[in-house]
Amino acid sequence: MERAQQQSSDSILATLSVDLLIQILDFVADPRDRKSWRQVCRGFLHAEALRRRSLRVLRREALQGLLRRYAACLERLDLSACPSLDDHALAAALAAGAGLWRLRSINLSRASGVGWRGLAALAKACPHLEAVDLSHCVGVGDREAAALATAAGLRDLWLDKCLGLTDVGLAKVAVGCPALEMLGIKWCLEISDIGIELLAKKCQNLRVLDISYLKITNRSLQFVSSLGKLEDLSMVGCSHIDDEGLQFLNNGSNSLQSVDVSRCENVTSSGLISVIEGHKYLQNLNIGDCFPELAPLFLSKLNDLRDSLTVLKLDGFQVFAPSLKIIGLNCRNLVEIGLSKCKWVTDEGVSELVAGCVNLMTIDLTCCHLLTNKALVAIGDKCKNLTCLQLESCKLITDKGLDCIGTCCSNLEEIDLTDCTMTNAAMKYLSRCSELMVLKLGLCDKISDEGLVHIASNCKKLRVLDLYRCFEVTDDGLAAIATGCKRIKNLNLCYCTRITDLGLKHLSCLEDLHDLELRGVHCITSLGITAIANGCQHLTELDLKHCHLVDDAGLFALGQYTKNLRQANLSYCQVSSMGLCNLLGSLKCLQDVKLVHLTQVPVEGFESALRASGGRLKKLKLLTGLRHLLSPGLIQMLQDRGCRIRWVDKPLNLVP
Amino acid sequence: MDPKQMPTFEACSSMSSQSRNLNQNQRATEFDARETEQSLPKFSSHLDNSFHQSNQAQQVAMNWDPRAVLNSLDILGQKIHQIQDIVRSTLSNERQLSIQPNEFAAQQQLINTDLTCTIIELISTAGALLPLIKNALASGINSPGQIGGVANSASDLDLVDVLRQNDNLLSDGTKDSEYEELIKGLSDWDDEGMKPISTEDIDVKDNEDGVSGENLPLGSYEVLQLEKEEILAPHTHFCAICGKGFKRDANLRMHMRGHGDEYKSPSALAKPSKEGSSEPVPIKRYSCPFIGCKRNKEHKNFQPLKTILCVKNHYKRSHCDKSYTCRRCNSKKFSVMADLKTHEKHCGSNKWLCSCGTTFSRKDKLFGHIALFQGHTPALSMDEVKSQGMSVQGQSDEVMAKEEDIDYLISGNVIEDTNFSGLKGADDDLGYFSSMNFDSFTFGGIDGLQQPSFDTSESLFSFHK
Repeated sequence: MERAQQQSSDSILATLSVDLLIQILDFVADPRDRKSWRQVCRGFLHAEALRRRSLRVLRREALQGLLRRYAACLERLDLSACPSLDDHALAAALAAGAGLWRLRSINLSRASGVGWRGLAALAKACPHLEAVDLSHCVGVGDREAAALATAAGLRDLWLDKCLGLTDVGLAKVAVGCPALEMLGIKWCLEISDIGIELLAKKCQNLRVLDISYLKITNRSLQFVSSLGKLEDLSMVGCSHIDDEGLQFLNNGSNSLQSVDVSRCENVTSSGLISVIEGHKYLQNLNIGDCFPELAPLFLSKLNDLRDSLTVLKLDGFQVFAPSLKIIGLNCRNLVEIGLSKCKWVTDEGVSELVAGCVNLMTIDLTCCHLLTNKALVAIGDKCKNLTCLQLESCKLITDKGLDCIGTCCSNLEEIDLTDCTMTNAAMKYLSRCSELMVLKLGLCDKISDEGLVHIASNCKKLRVLDLYRCFEVTDDGLAAIATGCKRIKNLNLCYCTRITDLGLKHLSCLEDLHDLELRGVHCITSLGITAIANGCQHLTELDLKHCHLVDDAGLFALGQYTKNLRQANLSYCQVSSMGLCNLLGSLKCLQDVKLVHLTQVPVEGFESALRASGGRLKKLKLLTGLRHLLSPGLIQMLQDRGCRIRWVDKPLNLVP
Repeated sequence: MDPKQMPTFEACSSMSSQSRNLNQNQRATEFDARETEQSLPKFSSHLDNSFHQSNQAQQVAMNWDPRAVLNSLDILGQKIHQIQDIVRSTLSNERQLSIQPNEFAAQQQLINTDLTCTIIELISTAGALLPLIKNALASGINSPGQIGGVANSASDLDLVDVLRQNDNLLSDGTKDSEYEELIKGLSDWDDEGMKPISTEDIDVKDNEDGVSGENLPLGSYEVLQLEKEEILAPHTHFCAICGKGFKRDANLRMHMRGHGDEYKSPSALAKPSKEGSSEPVPIKRYSCPFIGCKRNKEHKNFQPLKTILCVKNHYKRSHCDKSYTCRRCNSKKFSVMADLKTHEKHCGSNKWLCSCGTTFSRKDKLFGHIALFQGHTPALSMDEVKSQGMSVQGQSDEVMAKEEDIDYLISGNVIEDTNFSGLKGADDDLGYFSSMNFDSFTFGGIDGLQQPSFDTSESLFSFHK
């Protein structure tokens, strides 16, 4: 068909100008269709290049050519999945792009090989850069921050877990990028009050600030409170901050819309009251795991926020029924409530809550052990808009409770029933929710193929299915799922020991499958893996731990077909050096691999396989014993390229 | 303040230890026996008058018990007589040269204790009825032990106008009216919210900043101006006999012993203590002789200097060459030796470097500096630059060997590299932030902004000290 089009392309392009082509292209939404479009002819490719605004690069080899083609119009570039990206590659690609004049946003998250030279080149090549994400680049420090700071127009900057960043680097950014609006410096443990003080003085436009887990004190909050435009403040786990610090926020600026003080051990009700008093338009309040009990004064203060508050998270509190009643009365616009791990949440309390908050869409009741079906009936009765319900470990809930949910909450998109005593009947009720996208049934060992048939019959939109340790599930259930839920992306089949190669063959028709976990499914062989590799070519994560029958043949298939595979766990598999070398050598996207107890692979096998990986790996898990057997040069090379090696010391235990 | 009161104040201030003679000629005229003889009777008359003064006040304020006051005054009178006896006996002993040093010390101790008691009693008596002049009275009593100090500092009287006023005073017999004026002056002061001088904390160490916060109304103090030569003179105390100069008056006193026995008396050797000058002293402020300086009295917003030491430091810092160079960094220069010594203590430990070249020993100081100036950023430490530069460069070289077709070193990196090598070269002689290298220190295009900060070098210096 393509050839036929190409032959007549002259005539089509004679009538269709580029702008018309672009207009047609706008109707092609699916990425796969777009791919077909690109392959039609040069004219189509050119039109697509003019239309494209964002690009996510999966292979380093392609980066240069892609940037050359798309440079002119590109606004957003995602390099977070690009393996072995280093300064050299980045600078070369940017040079090929010859000035990314429109590029506004770049994502370099986890690009651990990028250093200050690459960032300096980036800042120079992209004059209109506004957003940079460097989160989880643990090697990033002050030098890199200084290079970034030359991009004066920067508005959004995410530096989460840049462990080398100190006050000096933060000062560089604060001085160099005065227009900064969003800044994340979560886990940058070296940053202190002094840095925050300067930041607050220099970047008065900050709207979003994440200072979670920093060792900062109340003094920092004093300066943060001077940021008049601050809307979103996250300070999770800042244990040096207490009520005195929160009182600084009560300065009448009223700007804050979202506050997250969860895990701040020294914060109590009185501090939160001053926050509420200072910010009348607060929408989002997360106070999980701060202090054990809710003070009545705090609950009544919530009345001040009755119109604005939409999200309230109270994880880990002791929440009695009267408290929930007051919340129900005071926060009528609540859309989301988090009661995860709360003690003393009873049916009565939940009924009182939902009686007031009828707009609730997300309810998190994880580990509220006292709840029974009555609570679910109340929720189903009142919350017609419910989309997400988390019921993990609510052991007293039975199938009947879900009857009501399935009937009343037709918009339900996500439900977590992990570790609940559900049977196939519950699946029948849930199958009424045709919008269901996420279904978690881990540890529900009574669920069998029959239940999956129910789900497959109506939940066409299912994207995530978790069947962890559902022993009863067999190949037939998977066949039903594979035919009914074509769009499944994540599938967890760990320890579903009755599944065989036949089941995997059924699954191979799931084209969207990205993440497949087959840990401990010991019946499967390379045959099943080959089928999966053949059918699910978008697979990015695969867990084959304790699949003892999988051998080199499976790895060859994976190496040949699943070119996008990024994470693989091959521990305890019966693979040899040959298969391993082939896999690591041919998969250009592989970044995270676990290779514990590969009994058939000698040291030389590891050596050559890791060399074959060509420095693309970012995470590697190996037995401690290999540490001194592998050549130091190899380990040094891996670490220089940004690879973190985790050495584990586990006894060989063949039975999972 | 009424200028008429000045003589009174001058009389009391003759013991001021601050006043230092700088001019040899003046001193020669002052240093005459008349002054020393005069100070003793003047003192006693002063005492009498302070009682007189409280009696006067009795007539003013009637809400007190006259009998109790009279009683306590009698006791006080007796006590003062006792002290006078002790002092006299000391003096006579001294003439006979029979007294042992420790015996003398014991006597001095005794006098001091007695006087303290007397002062306290007098305060408690007077305090009830005369709250306004309480401070003045407390400071008005002088210990006979300090008479030597009075004599000494009287000999030190330096300035011509003071002398003239003293002469006026001596010819003036009507002391009662003077004290009326004194009381009035004191109450005037209180109305103005002024601190009595006796409690004034004289900051000898430094400096100009101390004065700027003072905000004395113009005319409420006396402005003195020393000449440049006086300020820069290495010695401020000169021997009246041989003319030898000294930096400290204590050294001069030690020297004087060689000129005769009369200089060996305890009173002559005693330090002219500051407490001795606790009588109301007119506020003296100093003007810098440099025309156009803010510290010059002709200046529109004249801000006077507090002490002579301030004058010296100010003049040297602002109007003299910086001749002392730090031997460690070879870049910092100072005109005051003490400043150099302070700097040398910390030189080398200043690891916090700003992009403008200023160094700080503490991170918070650097960040305060950065917060203050637009465009300044902290400079990364040299070690860090070096190590990172090396490793990255090595790595990139290796990659380049593999793939030769790419022109990796885009211009931005080249600039960084030259900077880097230049700095490395300069690193050896500790001069990496000397003025020579500022130009190559381009941290984020702040060149235009650096310059003004250097113009205000005075403020920068005080900033990082």
